[in-house]
Amino acid sequence: MRSALVFARKETFEILRTWRVFVLPAILLLFAVTGPLIAKYTPELLSAVAGDQFSSLRLPTPTAGDAYGQWIKNLGQIGIFALIIIYGGIVSGERRSGTAVLVLTKPVSRVAFVVVKAVVNTLYLTLLLAAGTLVTWGVTALVFGDAPGGPLWSSALVWLVLAVFYLGLMTLFSVLVPSAAGAAGLGLGLFVVISVAAVWRPVADWSPGGLLGRASTLAAGTASDQVLWPVLVSLAVAAAAVAAAAALFRRQEL
Amino acid sequence: MSTALETVALTKTFGGRHALDAVDLSVDEGSVFGFLGPNGAGKTTALRIITGLAKPTSGTVRVLGQDIASAGNAVRGQLGFLPDVPAFYDWMTAPEFMEFVGGLFGLDRRILRQRTAMLLDTAGLGGVTTRIGGYSRGMKQRLGIAQALINAPRLLLLDEPTSALDPIGRKDVLDMLDALRGRATIFFSSHILSDVERVCDTVGILNRGRVLTQSSMQDLRSRHGGHRIVLEVTETADADALATLIAERSWATTVSRDGQGVIDVLVSDAAAAQHELPSLVASRNAGLIRLEAGELTLEDVFVELVGEAI
Repeated sequence: MRSALVFARKETFEILRTWRVFVLPAILLLFAVTGPLIAKYTPELLSAVAGDQFSSLRLPTPTAGDAYGQWIKNLGQIGIFALIIIYGGIVSGERRSGTAVLVLTKPVSRVAFVVVKAVVNTLYLTLLLAAGTLVTWGVTALVFGDAPGGPLWSSALVWLVLAVFYLGLMTLFSVLVPSAAGAAGLGLGLFVVISVAAVWRPVADWSPGGLLGRASTLAAGTASDQVLWPVLVSLAVAAAAVAAAAALFRRQEL
Repeated sequence: MSTALETVALTKTFGGRHALDAVDLSVDEGSVFGFLGPNGAGKTTALRIITGLAKPTSGTVRVLGQDIASAGNAVRGQLGFLPDVPAFYDWMTAPEFMEFVGGLFGLDRRILRQRTAMLLDTAGLGGVTTRIGGYSRGMKQRLGIAQALINAPRLLLLDEPTSALDPIGRKDVLDMLDALRGRATIFFSSHILSDVERVCDTVGILNRGRVLTQSSMQDLRSRHGGHRIVLEVTETADADALATLIAERSWATTVSRDGQGVIDVLVSDAAAAQHELPSLVASRNAGLIRLEAGELTLEDVFVELVGEAI
């Protein structure tokens, strides 16, 4: 147990002292700041660009819900893409560089090696999301004057479940595929398949495919039906993927 | 004396090719064991299996009395390991890496600090506060040896520990290993025969996945001819004919010569050879410039064994 904590400390410092500390936070901060601004000024930008062309078209007055929707939409596409690409080498990176050899000949189990990575990065994602959501909340309050917390935080929580689902899958893919790019390709392919499959109602109701739609509905301030099952299924699949990754990694040769 | 490391019929196959072929090794506790072999002999594969990084196709490995297949943290806690090309977290400094590794072994913070300072000083890295990413290969190798010793291991496994070092670095590492004699069992693979000869008391020679021999250095030398004599005759002499004449003697095991009148003879009976050689030289009307007798080196034995195997 103690060695797992020491390894977790290393993982944390690795995040803080390498490129990992910049990339995802920068992406999230950009979305957090620009989301409310884009939502607020899109009608004005459109009329400035198009002039009288759309004079008959009346855009609804933007609300805080639009700002939240923009934030969740960005997270749900580019945010997930970035996550998949960044975590393509979450396990294979250490195998390829050779550092896993030095660590795993010490009293650290291979299961702990994989699980600690997944847990530390889940916590990191949670912290980043909390910070980004706070920024969005603050900017929305500044721009719109009114920023209800419930829709924003509930939709962010649903997105976090989706992020944990993909992090779990990437942990498994990173054990299965030695190359980070290969694992990321697999992850992106699966993202497309799940997104397309979610058009079919049963998939949206019972799988991670339905999470993005529900997060957007929640962000708009509308109560979303059947959030529980996609959330539970996603968390269960994420846990199963990490468990499978640990079991496979235990049997692999380094 | 108990056995620190034992392999029985250890076999590893890659795509039908035997990287290790029924390897039997036995390393006594407290010994310094040199695991010799040319490049590609299977040394690194054997070490990967011994450390649990790879699994054997068949056969067993017992490390400190436990089967490595079922050994857990208790056994790994008593091992020190240096891979052939050690890799580190480039963003760490050497003291940070040592404290990380010591933490994995559960070492007390005070002991860890003392050992870190002492080992880094010994490795010539005391006071180096830059990140490991900027280290030379030699510095990384020395850090690799230091981290392998952080837990004061009962069994120290080193894969080519001196291969990336300059002569002074090599000497320091060999001195360090010499100083550990009796306090830990050291098993190190190498193709640098002089290093093995300097510090090891037991050797195993591996070639093409097979153990050609395993014995103490002394036994090895006495079993394989025991002595060599180097003979130099004047250039005007017919050295080829003289070499042929020497090769016919019963005490001559191997005779070889270069183009400069130097004849190298491995002999089974040094006294008889020393007695007869001057007269043989005289019989060919050759002038004797030099006659040197000495112990057979590990290199001689290695070349003889590996050469035979090839």
